[in-house]
Amino acid sequence: MIAYALQRFGAAILVAWLAVSLAFGVLRWLPGDALDATMARAGASDAEIAARRLALGLDDPVWQQYALYLADVLRGDLGESLVSGQPVSEMIAQNLGPTAALAGGALLVAVALGVGLGVLSGVGRPAGVRYAAEGIASLALSTPVYWTGTLAIYLFTTVLDVLPGVGGRGVRYLILPVCVLGFHTAGSIARVTAGSIRAAAAMDFIRTARAKGLPESDVLDHILRVGLLPVTAVVALQLGFLLGGTVITEMIFARRGLGKVLLAAIDTRDYPVIQGLVALSAVTYSLINALADVLYGLIDPRVRMDR
Amino acid sequence: MIAARTTNHRRRVAAGLLGLIVLLSILAPLLTGTDPRDATTGAELVSPSWQHLFGTDLLGRDVYSRTLYGGRRTLGVALLTVGVTLLPGLITGLAAGYFGGWIDRALMILMDALLAFPALLLALALVALLGSGAIQIALAVGIAGIPAYARVTRAAVLEARTRMFIEAARAAGAGPAGILWRHVLPTIAPPLLAFAGVMLSWAILNSAALMFLGYGGDLSAPDWGVMLADGRAAFRTAPWVATAPGAALSLTVLAINLLAGSLDSRPGRE
Repeated sequence: MIAYALQRFGAAILVAWLAVSLAFGVLRWLPGDALDATMARAGASDAEIAARRLALGLDDPVWQQYALYLADVLRGDLGESLVSGQPVSEMIAQNLGPTAALAGGALLVAVALGVGLGVLSGVGRPAGVRYAAEGIASLALSTPVYWTGTLAIYLFTTVLDVLPGVGGRGVRYLILPVCVLGFHTAGSIARVTAGSIRAAAAMDFIRTARAKGLPESDVLDHILRVGLLPVTAVVALQLGFLLGGTVITEMIFARRGLGKVLLAAIDTRDYPVIQGLVALSAVTYSLINALADVLYGLIDPRVRMDR
Repeated sequence: MIAARTTNHRRRVAAGLLGLIVLLSILAPLLTGTDPRDATTGAELVSPSWQHLFGTDLLGRDVYSRTLYGGRRTLGVALLTVGVTLLPGLITGLAAGYFGGWIDRALMILMDALLAFPALLLALALVALLGSGAIQIALAVGIAGIPAYARVTRAAVLEARTRMFIEAARAAGAGPAGILWRHVLPTIAPPLLAFAGVMLSWAILNSAALMFLGYGGDLSAPDWGVMLADGRAAFRTAPWVATAPGAALSLTVLAINLLAGSLDSRPGRE
């Protein structure tokens, strides 16, 4: 097991290193002249631009810049914003809280709703319950956040007037965005759960359990124990969707957070900020997926045996 | 039996719905005489009537006409996106799955590195690099979709490689290109087609998301994503502006999802 965990995390670190290198290649090396354009727009003189280039090492050979960049990243230094001059890591630290709260809350809603809908559409009774659960999951998969977000704000703040809408910082302001983002993430979780539950229900040992006269509630318990195992892996995979979704959700609900920082950076072509955020999300995503795989291996030994 | 009939029925409904939406988009010039870009001062946010079936938006543009023409642009960009994903994804997956060994390992670790970026964030970063515009959005979202398609293709090839007739073709001395083209590709076509459907609905949602965020370049061009952004601001007073493109977008994606799902569960396939 320890060997498997080490191997899985080793692979994740390799992937994270490659992802960070890709971010360097695409977002620093390719748009090397972005600094000139950004500073020129801000009204800097040629001499100032040249001094800044020198300070940032933009005229050094690429491999030297790359080595320096990797060393900086390892120390947690992601460079500075071209626009404000603020360290990127500081910008991330200041805005991480609201985004983490949004993503974490949405993940909880997504798991609860997704697994619930998945179980219902897998083994729900009567058939009407199955169809209803399937329908809700299909709806979650086929409507975008930027459409349901608008609908939810209208329904819950204008028509029903039970929740505050956009802006704000309190917990009450978190409920609606968390539910909207969670609802969409629940779609794929429900789909995978339903498939896995159906596959488990069709297994021989379930037929045996029924044949020997176990009550249906015990049979269901057997089904769920096997059918819910793969869900851990799917939940971790959905994190990517969730991180992308926070950007749009924050925009619709006018919330502070990393998504807002990213969109502002894209508008001003602030490459170090974009690069820092994208690299951070890639590293987070691959490490959490490795963690999920190892956990999955712990609760289901068959996964480890496959290797 | 009953399950098969429901699947068939669903497939027919989904195909009909999708066909209708595509047809409405293609025939837009025949179905409306109003220019989707025509802004009429004095007719802003008019509620639905015989003259404006779906009402008008903030600038007095006809929402019915914009929804029809918007389908052309939204679906066009999505198809282009899938095109950008499919060819490199397919080639990478085929090469990795067929040749195996270090080629497989090198290609897959590259795909894993790309897959580590949340797709929408990768697309956003690429848009920052490429600039705004419909083509740029298709490129950005399309590239973000490549690793997933390559992985699915590779998995299908690995499964197909174990089949006897492919062993036989290799034993008979057929070259890799011939085997891939004549034997492997037809074998893995059904699951890949189903996944292309999944990619299409994914492409619609994500390219429309970038349009919604305002990276489409031409802001007056009719597009479902852009219309949803326009309608969001006025939703309280004029819900019709966002409802028409929102419903169109959801129905399209729903129909594609149903079709892709039924393709994958065709009789005889595990």
